[in-house]
Amino acid sequence: MATPEGRGAVAVVRLSGPEAFELAGQIVGDLPEARYAGLRVFRGATGEVIDQGIVICFPAPHSYTGENVVELQGHGGRAVTRALLDALRAVGARPAERGEFTQRAFLHGQMDLAQAEAVAALIDADSQVARRAALRSLQGALGEWVDEVASAIQQIRAQIEAELDFSDDLHEAGEETDDIGPPLESVRTRIRSIRQRTVAGTHLRHGLKVALIGVPNAGKSSLMNALVGSDVSIVNELPGTTRDVMRERIGLGEREIELQDTAGIRAGDEVGAVEHEGVRRALHAMDHADVVVLVTDANTPLTQWERHVLAQLDPTRSVVVRNKIDLDGALPLSARPTESLTRFMVCDVSALTGSGLDELRERLHELVAERDDVEPLAGEQRHLEALDRADEALAEAVRVERLQLGREITAEQLREAQLVLLGITRRDDNEALLDQIFRSFCIGK
Amino acid sequence: MFHVEHQKKVQVMSGSYFEVIVVGGGHAGVEAAGAAARMGCRTLLVTHQLDAIGALSCNPAIGGIGKGHIVREIEAMGGLMGRAADAAAIQSRTLNQSKGPAVQAVRIQADRPQYARQIRLQLDAHSNLQLFQDAVVDLLVEGGRCVGVMGRSAGVLRAQAVVLATGTFLAGRVHIGGVNYESGRAGEPAANQLANVLRHHQLPVGRLKTGTPPRIDRRSINEETLAKQYGDKPRPRFAPFAVGAEWQKALPERPCLVSYTSVQAHDLIRSALNESPMYSGAVTGVGPRYCPSIEDKVVRFADREKHQIFLEPEGLDSNELYPNGISTGLPLRIQQEVLHLCEGLERAHITRPGYAIEYDYVDPRSLRRNLELEALPGLYLAGQINGTTGYEEAAGQGLIAGVNAALQIRGDAVWVPQRDEAYIGVMIDDLVTTGVTEPYRMFTSRAEHRLQLRGDNAEQRLLPMAYELGLVSDARWRQYADYQEQLDQERARLQATRVSPQTLTPRQQALLGQGLRRDQTLYDLLRRPELDYEAVLAIGDLEPSTERALALGRQLEIEARYDGYLVRQAHENRRYQHYARAPLPQALDYQAIEGLSTEVKERLRRTQPPTVGDAAQLPGVTPAAISLLLVHLRRNGWLRLPKEEGAGD
Repeated sequence: MATPEGRGAVAVVRLSGPEAFELAGQIVGDLPEARYAGLRVFRGATGEVIDQGIVICFPAPHSYTGENVVELQGHGGRAVTRALLDALRAVGARPAERGEFTQRAFLHGQMDLAQAEAVAALIDADSQVARRAALRSLQGALGEWVDEVASAIQQIRAQIEAELDFSDDLHEAGEETDDIGPPLESVRTRIRSIRQRTVAGTHLRHGLKVALIGVPNAGKSSLMNALVGSDVSIVNELPGTTRDVMRERIGLGEREIELQDTAGIRAGDEVGAVEHEGVRRALHAMDHADVVVLVTDANTPLTQWERHVLAQLDPTRSVVVRNKIDLDGALPLSARPTESLTRFMVCDVSALTGSGLDELRERLHELVAERDDVEPLAGEQRHLEALDRADEALAEAVRVERLQLGREITAEQLREAQLVLLGITRRDDNEALLDQIFRSFCIGK
Repeated sequence: MFHVEHQKKVQVMSGSYFEVIVVGGGHAGVEAAGAAARMGCRTLLVTHQLDAIGALSCNPAIGGIGKGHIVREIEAMGGLMGRAADAAAIQSRTLNQSKGPAVQAVRIQADRPQYARQIRLQLDAHSNLQLFQDAVVDLLVEGGRCVGVMGRSAGVLRAQAVVLATGTFLAGRVHIGGVNYESGRAGEPAANQLANVLRHHQLPVGRLKTGTPPRIDRRSINEETLAKQYGDKPRPRFAPFAVGAEWQKALPERPCLVSYTSVQAHDLIRSALNESPMYSGAVTGVGPRYCPSIEDKVVRFADREKHQIFLEPEGLDSNELYPNGISTGLPLRIQQEVLHLCEGLERAHITRPGYAIEYDYVDPRSLRRNLELEALPGLYLAGQINGTTGYEEAAGQGLIAGVNAALQIRGDAVWVPQRDEAYIGVMIDDLVTTGVTEPYRMFTSRAEHRLQLRGDNAEQRLLPMAYELGLVSDARWRQYADYQEQLDQERARLQATRVSPQTLTPRQQALLGQGLRRDQTLYDLLRRPELDYEAVLAIGDLEPSTERALALGRQLEIEARYDGYLVRQAHENRRYQHYARAPLPQALDYQAIEGLSTEVKERLRRTQPPTVGDAAQLPGVTPAAISLLLVHLRRNGWLRLPKEEGAGD
């Protein structure tokens, strides 16, 4: 099934494998010419008519999976689709496992690993921006970017490897390497830029994380419910990875965010161990979120805990909510000890009446858009880890160079950086490196 | 039938029964024969010319970066090459002295006759090793196994294992300008009959090319105008632990001379390109990228005004020079004119023309890791026949082939060093898994464990195993164990001595330079690039522990310098080892694994490796293939990972 099960205008069923044409032929009769759409009647095992629809054949290897592929476009509708699937099963096809088409495409060399994962991201993409990011990656953008950086590293490696293995040959020609610090730093800058864009991509896919923090009686949960409840595009409830965090995904403009209610900050006004624990948890939430919303009660002065947290918060990625603004006791902003709030974006909100919620949503949208103000690339956590490991190895290479600990150590750091990056597209390196050395330098006495 | 006919012939040397027969007396052959003999096998070395045993048939140098590392490994396993090279050296240098110790290596210039003599002396020391002069014309095959060879004079020569280390250019064809003829190495006859035998056994044979420069007469050049390059004092050695008068003798030193080509020489070469077999299309084989002909250099690096020529002395009693750097297939007349346009060579007399040569090799992917032919058990191939180039590469393979021939006879398991144990392991892994596209030469960049595979620790890496195999004597083992004990003690002493920022004396402060932020051991301090062993001892107010302390200290400096990086690599290795021990189901249908090449599927099906690690050792099985295998196992729920041992770190 290529389209989601259930009702729809068109249901597309794709058949892939060496025998795809034979099996489809048993359902639709003669097949249309390759890559041309043909109108056919779909028949079940006993010859009864199931549906009428479009048939397109994609012979191997010029298909999505690299195998023979037949696309059957019938009318949507559960019963019709089920009958078609049953008929296909009866002639020997089996339903694909999740991601199997993409996996086959990868195994048949139709796409590199980064592209294959982009397809998975595309299928999962819930928002327009995420879909675009996934498409860009599917067209090979992430792989290309990473390859480009890997080849920049290879260029530096070729230079210093030549110097290590062929010092005699290079010495005579005055081809000794100069300072490789600047080119290394330039590669690191590029890695960080790709990383930023991949992070933006994972945000789109998994939602940028927005943490709600605050003392228990500030009305965090009701604010969360208000934000979630008033939004029709609730996607799903993700199971929390820790027991004390509630997560909800909501749409915000054309993006998605993941709201996290960091329950468990159970600190009152008293100073002491409990408060310390509360601050620690809040800090943890802040570290792991992209945007932080500090929820306060507009009817009470800032607690000492809140002031602690405010001192740690980054104003460029935080909003302070003064909740319960509908109550009579709500203090005007000017009546509060303001010095700790002036640096922050402040929203007066009533989770109960819904007043101020639109403004809060707008503020969040601004922050989220600002943080994602790069062309996002669909990527996976694995890609981020690879980029990080590569950058780490390069940082060590820079240190080794600066302290002159030895070019052979630098060389190993660069080897690791390049291999880790190549791991993204799984291409092999050693021969390519030697080739670059011999192309660039006149080796061999 | 061809083979039945052989068996009817009388076995001439029937009085003697050999366990291992080694064919060839080059660098691979002598190491194979030496290793088999040291491991106690009755061994016969057959070569067409006994006087050519141990000949340095190309340039008279041994070692260098990567290659010198291999010589150290051969030495650590009791081999012949390092000692012979030390004793035949007429100049010795440590290369890369401005770089770190992991990429430093010794290279020597050898006196050719002395080198051959030193090899012969070592072979003659084994009473269970016999030499025999004969041309091998066929293999003896029974029941799908190689059980001996056919000598042209001797007829049937039986053995339980045969090492083919013929070295010479199989089915070689020499090109000098438009002239070409069949030839072996340096005027030797071509080994066509043997090439035909290999083809007869349907081994996958490919073709490579390489070249040599013309040799010139030292008396005909203007030596005074050329820069001279001398060796290091004291002379670095491949076998620093060798004792006995024979190994301590030093031959007189001879310098190398340095000349350059010229713009005029390049113009001439360019104008004569159509006469070069490489450019006329006469030679189609793939030449080595690291050893381009002078034609290639001029074409590919057109903006260079000159290329270096390194004139190596051929020996103490020889007037010939080997002009390294200008290998060529140009006509002799052009070779002469080109030389005359080079600095100091204006009147050079050519004693032997340079030539390009094409020759056969056996695709090493048809070998098991122990260098035994998969299709013909009992037959081991080593050296140039496997597509490698270089004395050192050949010798390393010879040693491993000899060891495994002996292990097979003992009925013991195969032993081949891994990629993280030896350059020899890197080489064999490269050969049997990726094969070659040009003559294979060792570079340190091929070794991903380069910081671990050093010259200084060759004994630590390989000698214990070599002793276990029987490759080194008890005396050598005791010498090593003694050294190792002192090294461990000295390391422990440095690790136990602390200096503290609070108690630093002004003298210590001055020695430290950078100061001290926290308590550190002397061993920690050794990591600082500006502090050597002596400085660290002085800071700790310690005296050298033994007479040998300086040698120990040098090694500890190197260890400390790479320690942090090695720990990290070791961790990565363990992660791989974790998967390596995962068992492969007996009934696994390899045909069903998508993405694997037919070749790999077939090999896995045939060999039925018991674990993922065993599968990874098979020729042609790449890391990518192992990933696909693991994915397949995991997807079907068949991946059984052994429990982690211990708590880990």
